[in-house]
Amino acid sequence: MNGQTFFSRFDTKWLVIACAVTVLVLFTALPMLYLIYRSVVVEGSVNLENYRVVYSNAVNFRAFVNTFKVSLLVTGLSVLITFPLAWLVGRTNLPGKGFFRTLFVATYMIPPYVGAIAWIQLLNPSVGYVNTFLMAVFGLTQAPFNIYSMGGMIWCMTLFYSPFAFITISRAMEKMDPSLEEASRIAGASPLKTLVRVTLPLMLPSVIAGGVLVFINAGSSFGIPAIVGMPAQIEVLTTRIVTYVYMGTGKGIREATALAVILMVVANGLLYASTFLLGKKEYVTIGGKSMRPNLVDLGRWKWPVTALVAAYGFVSVFLPLGSILVTSMLKSMSRPVSFDNLTFSTWKTVVNNTGYMDCLGTSFFAATVTATVATVVALFIAYLAVKTRTKGRAVPDSLATLGGATPSIVIALALIITFSGEFGLNLYSTVAILVVSYLVKYLTMSVRTISASLTQVHVSLEEAALSSGASWLRAMKDIVLPLVSPSIIAGWFLVFMPSFYELTMSILLYGSKTKTIGVLLYEMQTYADPQDASVLAIVILLIVLGGNLLLRKLSRGSVGI
Amino acid sequence: MAEVRIKAVSKIFGDVKAVNAFDTVVKDGEFVSILGPSGCGKTTMLRMIAGFERPSLGEIWIGDELVSSAESGVFLAPEKRSIGMVFQSYAVWPHMNVFQNVAYPLTIKNLNKEEIARRTNRVLGLVHLDGYAERFPNQLSGGQQQRVALARALVCEPRLLLLDEPLSNLDAKLRESMRFEIKELQRKLNITVIYVTHDQSEAMAMSDRIVVMHQGVVQQIASPVDVYETPANETVADFIGLVNFVPAELTADEVIFPSLGHAVKRDNACRGRARVGIRPENIALSKTETGLQGTIVHKFYMGDATDCRVAVGTETLRVIAKGDGFREYQDGDAVWLRLDKMIVFPVGDKA
Repeated sequence: MNGQTFFSRFDTKWLVIACAVTVLVLFTALPMLYLIYRSVVVEGSVNLENYRVVYSNAVNFRAFVNTFKVSLLVTGLSVLITFPLAWLVGRTNLPGKGFFRTLFVATYMIPPYVGAIAWIQLLNPSVGYVNTFLMAVFGLTQAPFNIYSMGGMIWCMTLFYSPFAFITISRAMEKMDPSLEEASRIAGASPLKTLVRVTLPLMLPSVIAGGVLVFINAGSSFGIPAIVGMPAQIEVLTTRIVTYVYMGTGKGIREATALAVILMVVANGLLYASTFLLGKKEYVTIGGKSMRPNLVDLGRWKWPVTALVAAYGFVSVFLPLGSILVTSMLKSMSRPVSFDNLTFSTWKTVVNNTGYMDCLGTSFFAATVTATVATVVALFIAYLAVKTRTKGRAVPDSLATLGGATPSIVIALALIITFSGEFGLNLYSTVAILVVSYLVKYLTMSVRTISASLTQVHVSLEEAALSSGASWLRAMKDIVLPLVSPSIIAGWFLVFMPSFYELTMSILLYGSKTKTIGVLLYEMQTYADPQDASVLAIVILLIVLGGNLLLRKLSRGSVGI
Repeated sequence: MAEVRIKAVSKIFGDVKAVNAFDTVVKDGEFVSILGPSGCGKTTMLRMIAGFERPSLGEIWIGDELVSSAESGVFLAPEKRSIGMVFQSYAVWPHMNVFQNVAYPLTIKNLNKEEIARRTNRVLGLVHLDGYAERFPNQLSGGQQQRVALARALVCEPRLLLLDEPLSNLDAKLRESMRFEIKELQRKLNITVIYVTHDQSEAMAMSDRIVVMHQGVVQQIASPVDVYETPANETVADFIGLVNFVPAELTADEVIFPSLGHAVKRDNACRGRARVGIRPENIALSKTETGLQGTIVHKFYMGDATDCRVAVGTETLRVIAKGDGFREYQDGDAVWLRLDKMIVFPVGDKA
């Protein structure tokens, strides 16, 4: 009896650890290490010749500089825009705060390449809706905006990556004890002085954390630079990597690794540095009962400010979505927008196109498999990390975090070089490699969600079941699983949605029979079929929106993207 | 130093009257507590004095200055009221060290460096934080953070000090020693203090006068002794200390308790039905067969006191004896009671 308990406990625990670690090491740590190896080993010896060759190429170096320039500008702009927005939404008597809050995180769930497609429709120099409108109204002879430019890229990225900063900053704003500000007022400081000397310094760690997230996401994004920047010959690291891989030669791949390693080191390094430094500055600001925030009265500025905020919301969300919807329903792209120029005929063509529907099916299948596998693995990882005292319990969790923190393009490249037969496992252009890549990138989403909810289940609840005579397995089934089930479902959707519309990794990993919806949409945009692209974009948005509504309902509003 | 005059102040949130016609004068140098259960409106009243809430009705004067008036629309911003305030959550700024926190009100006034240093160090000494100037709040215990908050509130020598449940986040022992420190500081600086708390022993120990609030309405304003011994109504009697309520009939010279089958000689101002409050420590027990007979239902030994439930007639009374007074009693023993002090509330007079 004793021996049996010992054995079953020993076995399951270590079996779980071993499986989780093996899977994660095989698909996350190993490919990344191999990527670094391949970038520094040339013909059997370690040297940096590869890096020298790659970065002395003018195009590559320009791409490197562009990446930094664009990311920095996008980060700066995002913080400048979202800090006041977060303050207005969290701390003032701005009308319609709840609505605006939802609006400002909405672009977070729209795939960035869909945003890029929309802004091309609005701002391309020949037929952009906004351009033609402004030309007609002001009698201009030239289009005022050209989306195919550095400015256009920065504009799109700011709209689509600033929610990272908004979410981080507004969460910190809400958590801040309002009496910290009140103490400054009573000490004789005006509201403005309080903002500068108390609120801003207290918010600084979250501003930096949010800024780092924006910087990394902008730097590793592929969709927007590919769709908006490439036509204007503006290259960034991600687009260069894809170009190299598409060359298909060993030399091309080797040079791509040198670009990818830099991207990976910068992204992971920044993220760990900011977590490490800010972790020390973690201000405990949770207060006592006076958490009812004292809202700042905007006074006579109330309506002008509301108008400004609403205008930003309109431009960042409604304008691009409206543009896609209208484009998907136009009879003729060359005629102006009016009711008699609208039709559903493009929709019918798209829905009846089996090629399109196959891609949709591939994405749906791959995302479903990924989400399901991720949920099961995440459940083990989370239980291990939260509920056990086993040595090394946090290792699988941190491997999952590593995957989530690594730029998608880097993961894809690492998987290509590792699993195209080099080590006896050839997954190239199969659905399996798509699933593996999504798993590496998004597993952390479900681990986070499930751990957070497992932490809330106090150990005594489980112990009460054990002392009532239930076995460990039975206690899991009757007590723990039901309590965390909303988070399990939430975690499933949080993996499913980004996997479903994924582009960056899919573009490197798809095969002729495994084209995903993201890749299809990208190709359509590049080969100029904006109407079909718009229809498919709307389909993606509807699925993502449906998933989100379901997610919010299941988690009672606590989870959602 | 200043007198605070609160004239018929009400605060209405939606259709809830959080504070209803609060009216009192806090004298110069006086220590007044506002006491009541959570949600009684005491913090809202304090925040109106501080200037974080505007009164819906009435006006507030600090010294000779009208700071808030709902009727004439006068409203002085919190930063212009020159008062000190200590918050329940301390509100010590985590990005500044102890010195910077405490010196903040002085730096806002743009005083010169030497004066800031001199005054900050003096007040740090006053709250026993000499040597902690360079520390950051996350290196301090709760009690030390509390002292920082107190020093910051005092550094400008404000005319009025407001404290919002400042001790409720501290552990019991520290709470008691801080009580005396705050009281000592108030005496030394001779400052006007308004202190909000839900802890009656805190209010009793420190205050010159206590304002008892319940559901937004002031129930009584009196000294601690008067609030305890002659509470204005049953609500006050029930909230402050323990009390047994027994229905009674009043005649000219007797209080008759039908449910106890007992009467006590007393000269009464009123006649008719009443509710009589008897505090557990004002009932004497003995084995001698005189007076009112009862049975011990249960005896709880508390160390410094013994707490008994005694069945008398159809009532069960709570009786507390300090020390080891009830050592010889067992559950089920017959005992005789003497009612020493009574608080009489004629029925119909209930607030």
